[in-house]
Amino acid sequence: MNPQILLDLRQFYPELILTAALLCVIIGDLAFPRQRRSVTFFLSALGLALAFSFSLPLFSAPAGTLFFGVVALDPLAVFFKLFLILTSLFVLLAVPGCKEMPQKSLGEFHTLLLGVTLGMLLLASSMDMLMLYLSLEMVSLGSYIMVGYLKNNRQSNEASLKYLLFGAVATGAMLYGMTILYGLTGTTKLAGIREVLAAGITTGDNAVMLFIATILVLAGFGFKTAAVPFHFWCPDVYAGAATPVTAFLSVAPKAAGFAALIRFFFTGLSTSPVNADYWSQFSFINWQYVFIAVSILTMTFGNIAALRQSNMKRLLAYSSIAHAGYIFMGAVVLTSQGLQSILIYLITYLFMNLGAFFIVIEIFNRTDSFDLEDYRGIRRRSPFLSYAMAVFMFSLMGIPPLAGFWGKLYVFAAAVNGDLIWYAAIGALNSVIAVYYYARVIKTMLIDEGEGAARFSIPWTSYVLVWIMLLPTIGLMLFWNQIERITADSVKLFLGN
Amino acid sequence: MIGLGHYLIISAALFSLGIMCVLTRKNAVNVLMGIELILNSANLNLVAFSKFSAGNIEGQIFSIFIIVVAAAEAAVALAIVLAMYRLIKSVNLDRADTLKG
Amino acid sequence: MDKNLFSQIVFYCFAVVVVGSAAVVVFSRSLIRSAFALLFTFGGVAALYVYLGADFLAATQMVIYVGGILVLLLFGVMLTHKLYDLNLRGEAFQFLPALVLVLVVFSTLVFFMLRADWFSGGERAATPTTAAIGELLMRDFILPFEVASIFLLIALIGAALIVRRKSQ
Repeated sequence: MNPQILLDLRQFYPELILTAALLCVIIGDLAFPRQRRSVTFFLSALGLALAFSFSLPLFSAPAGTLFFGVVALDPLAVFFKLFLILTSLFVLLAVPGCKEMPQKSLGEFHTLLLGVTLGMLLLASSMDMLMLYLSLEMVSLGSYIMVGYLKNNRQSNEASLKYLLFGAVATGAMLYGMTILYGLTGTTKLAGIREVLAAGITTGDNAVMLFIATILVLAGFGFKTAAVPFHFWCPDVYAGAATPVTAFLSVAPKAAGFAALIRFFFTGLSTSPVNADYWSQFSFINWQYVFIAVSILTMTFGNIAALRQSNMKRLLAYSSIAHAGYIFMGAVVLTSQGLQSILIYLITYLFMNLGAFFIVIEIFNRTDSFDLEDYRGIRRRSPFLSYAMAVFMFSLMGIPPLAGFWGKLYVFAAAVNGDLIWYAAIGALNSVIAVYYYARVIKTMLIDEGEGAARFSIPWTSYVLVWIMLLPTIGLMLFWNQIERITADSVKLFLGN
Repeated sequence: MIGLGHYLIISAALFSLGIMCVLTRKNAVNVLMGIELILNSANLNLVAFSKFSAGNIEGQIFSIFIIVVAAAEAAVALAIVLAMYRLIKSVNLDRADTLKG
Repeated sequence: MDKNLFSQIVFYCFAVVVVGSAAVVVFSRSLIRSAFALLFTFGGVAALYVYLGADFLAATQMVIYVGGILVLLLFGVMLTHKLYDLNLRGEAFQFLPALVLVLVVFSTLVFFMLRADWFSGGERAATPTTAAIGELLMRDFILPFEVASIFLLIALIGAALIVRRKSQ
């Protein structure tokens, strides 16, 4: 075997562990029929935890590409590895406490979860269009199946079909764009693409072709991150899937999609002078304007559509669309500060969004409903759930000193520093609009009077899970220095590439 | 002589027809056929560029992987369609548009 | 007849077959007719691959697309034909606006693609590709190759999971 491959494998432990865990889960599912749930659950949890701990030392590994330039290993990639594995672990822990999921036959679900996580790790570090496409499809295909996991549920089934058809078209268009890029540059590697483009072939008609190609590629990324106008699948899929799956989809594949987007645009399509804090694009196309347009449309549409929702899952779906719009803001400014703000926003978003979804799961367990009408007066039935939800809602709104505020602050600050004050103002305006529907949830739960009076009895596992989400949401700012340092380092080394 | 342009026109036609199929057809299996047309158009592009422009066979390797992905996607799509068929048949009701909005 | 001319004529025949059958797939009212037209599309594309010197790919296309995906699609059509309107969306695009949009897309693509200045890495000679593909798969693209196997494993498990009858 090529010695380089053996060396690269040593840097590849998280992915190898996930693959091994995947295979063990499949075998375990077959070998232990009676204790099915426990075996696969523990194997998956162990696999994810091990992968997480093996990713940590990778921060200090020398930045570079692995396996002949197909995958990158730099602190940015490691950041996303940790982020995505953590999200999967939290969702895995939430599944046993959820009434919707068929607790007896979860072996395949664990397999899918591990497979999608593996795909996401690869997606976040892809440096080659082939790897990008393959890992994107791996994540998507696993997600389609996870959404359709509740086989006997019509809505779940419909949701997965819609998701699949829409996703296949979006990635098909993306693929067509990628082929045009191959034709223009003769290579599928992102670094190679940049080289050829920098050598200056992009004049006149070529420029238009490049533009068309990139718009098509953006279709695929827009689909994965649920940006307007590729968001149509989002509310139906989020509403039809089982809630743990929805929680997972709203955070992890979206983040992986953003990671791939960042890599694609800033490694493949822009020049990056060393020691400069600012990326320039190939000057004939101003990608900034395209991103700004997408971001504003996404934020505004997400927030306005959420105003009318009474189904909690749909409300959170539109809310997550809006948040994707804010995240785009960090990508617009093309500075390292902008990129850093994306990472910080993602960290805060992980905890507050998952927290909100976990509470929705708990309430469904007790009331069998996702409808906001049935959330009235939950304060009397479970003060813990209602106050925790209030915290998450306030954080999503962006109220200081909760985590959500810091995320938004960073993103808006990046926009202002990039001389796009009007853009930051639009973002702030959107946040104000969003206050209405988040506040409606809080009001319904805390102030309105409801029917049932019986107290909820919440299992201790759910308490622990919600607290795990709650603590960072409240106290993230205490660790501000560390977080800022880690994210800045991740971005700095990426810039140097 | 047959040049790059001929193949590009054919693939653009396939791509457009695929999009047309996806936009106007209601049946899920029909939409899947449209998707296969789109994927084939991308494949044709890649192989044509591999021969005329790029000077390497990376495009063909990309095509192989696209075929792999297309096969897996078609399999899962049809599995979901079959599951839906069974559900609807047993419920004995109308169409599959219960999800609105 | 001049070999070159003959080859060109056959190429145009295949081109017409591909685009024509694709049109039948899109515009035909009968689902089964669409499925069979798709057969000709796939076959025609395989022939075009042969013209482009991609021998391995042409064989793969026939085996997997025609022998696998098309058969699967036919199964899907046959097994669900009783429920003919397996409707997804009550509101699909209207025919005419979609046609206009698609024509615009097609003409834009063709116009710019013909005028663009593609990369000039030289035309590849028509040599057998199988060995070269094998080498690249084992060297440059070994990671995608291995990942593809896991991908197929997941697809297999997922498809079997969804289609399984008993909830056991």
